[in-house]
Amino acid sequence: MKIRTMEYFIKEALTSLKRNGLMSFASVTTVALSLLILGMFLVMVLNLNNMASTLESQVQISVYLQDGLTDLEMREVGTRITKIPGVVQVSFVGKEEAMSRFKERLGEQQGLLNALGEANPLPNAFEVKVDNTERVKAAAQTMMQLKGVENAKFGQEVVEQLFALTKMVRIFGLIIIVFLALAALFIISNTIRITVFARRKEIGIMKYVGATNWFIRWPFLLEGMMLGFGGALVAVLFLNETYGVLIHQVYESLAFLPLIPQYPFITNISVVLLVTGTVIGALGSTISLRRYMRV
Amino acid sequence: MIHLDGVSKIYDNGCVALSDITLDIPKGDFVFVVGPSGAGKSTFIKLIFREELPTKGKLIVNGRNVGELEPSEIPYLRRNLGIVFQDYRLLPNKTVYENVAFAMQVIESSRRDIQKRVSHVLDLVGLRHKAKNFPGELSGGEQQRIAIARAIVNNPVVVIADEPTGNLDPETSWDIMRIFERINRNGTTIVMATHDKSVVDAMKKRVIAIEKSCIARDQVRGVYGYED
Repeated sequence: MKIRTMEYFIKEALTSLKRNGLMSFASVTTVALSLLILGMFLVMVLNLNNMASTLESQVQISVYLQDGLTDLEMREVGTRITKIPGVVQVSFVGKEEAMSRFKERLGEQQGLLNALGEANPLPNAFEVKVDNTERVKAAAQTMMQLKGVENAKFGQEVVEQLFALTKMVRIFGLIIIVFLALAALFIISNTIRITVFARRKEIGIMKYVGATNWFIRWPFLLEGMMLGFGGALVAVLFLNETYGVLIHQVYESLAFLPLIPQYPFITNISVVLLVTGTVIGALGSTISLRRYMRV
Repeated sequence: MIHLDGVSKIYDNGCVALSDITLDIPKGDFVFVVGPSGAGKSTFIKLIFREELPTKGKLIVNGRNVGELEPSEIPYLRRNLGIVFQDYRLLPNKTVYENVAFAMQVIESSRRDIQKRVSHVLDLVGLRHKAKNFPGELSGGEQQRIAIARAIVNNPVVVIADEPTGNLDPETSWDIMRIFERINRNGTTIVMATHDKSVVDAMKKRVIAIEKSCIARDQVRGVYGYED
């Protein structure tokens, strides 16, 4: 394709965009909205997945002891835990240490704990490491049976819940995204249809003087792609800004939440959104060209 | 140049527009296609530039079997044809120059060729001084001359005209016919459907009369042969 022909295509596409200002605006807005929601779901699902696998890699069982055990009784529980198959390390975390760790995690917000006064509701506990992820569940169950043990918790439960949540978010997200993508497709194909209609005379003449079908199609295809890309760009800018703010907020107040850092995470999502937007635009015009222009 | 062998055209609704037409139009011919309205003139014209497909028979235009052309080959057939319509079909928001240049742009001619050719054909139809005007500022005859300039700008081997003088007064029609004659003298084949009795009678060219979907007459130096 000659450069001058390409210039011609781009000029024609831009002219149409301007001429159908309102429809162009509606298309860009719809695409932006759809892709923004798609982007948000991507960010959410990927972060939940990330959290789940971070937790999974920490194969640690927290064994909470009943209140009111004597030192001797506690030491006995510890010895029994050591004998459970797969256990490689057992360390004691007393009430006071648990409290000071908690305070540390809360950071600036530890003032909240003042409401408790002198009381410390946290139990004495053992932190137990197991050599193999698959043994965690069985080991935790054995520990739960031990005398003096209140509860034995391990990451897996949270991990399973997180995975279930991810799955749900994914399904809902998918449904919403499909609907929004269809809406975007519909609006773009309508915009292009209007362009095709406005230029049907020109198209007729192009056909009579021997323009190839692709020569006729390109400006419309470009127009659709520009609409899609424009919408995606709006979504990307918004998402980038919002995630930046979110990360900042989380680091300040909820530092223990393992969020995926902004870069290159958001950059990758941006690429996905921009490509998706452009493809939706191209598809939208293809639909219109097929139906309203016999070329 | 154009060769029909047993060509029929039956539309989807069962209407027979042309029935078993066989004829030959050699290169450089000037042919009038005449006949009552609805007899099949327009269908004949449309078959040549592959607006319609023949239902039966073989139609060869400039060495291509039109009935067997792939859709992607149609543009290349049309690049060898110039088409002129009764209603001019100019683009109102482009200048005279741009309207003619458009036909070269869409087949990706170089900028230099476009400048040279467009000036040349505007000279040929005598409207170079109106190059910067818009079609709306021109008379009907001038608009048709622009349409002819556009039709010949890509050096077609055949110019097809469907009632080119249908909207014009007699004097203007003659200006248009003189331009067609000049184009024909340069070796371009001309096929023209027309209702213009005085033009056909005066020019003494080949006349093909189509009546009731069939060829009723094919005369070398023919006359219109119908009462207006």
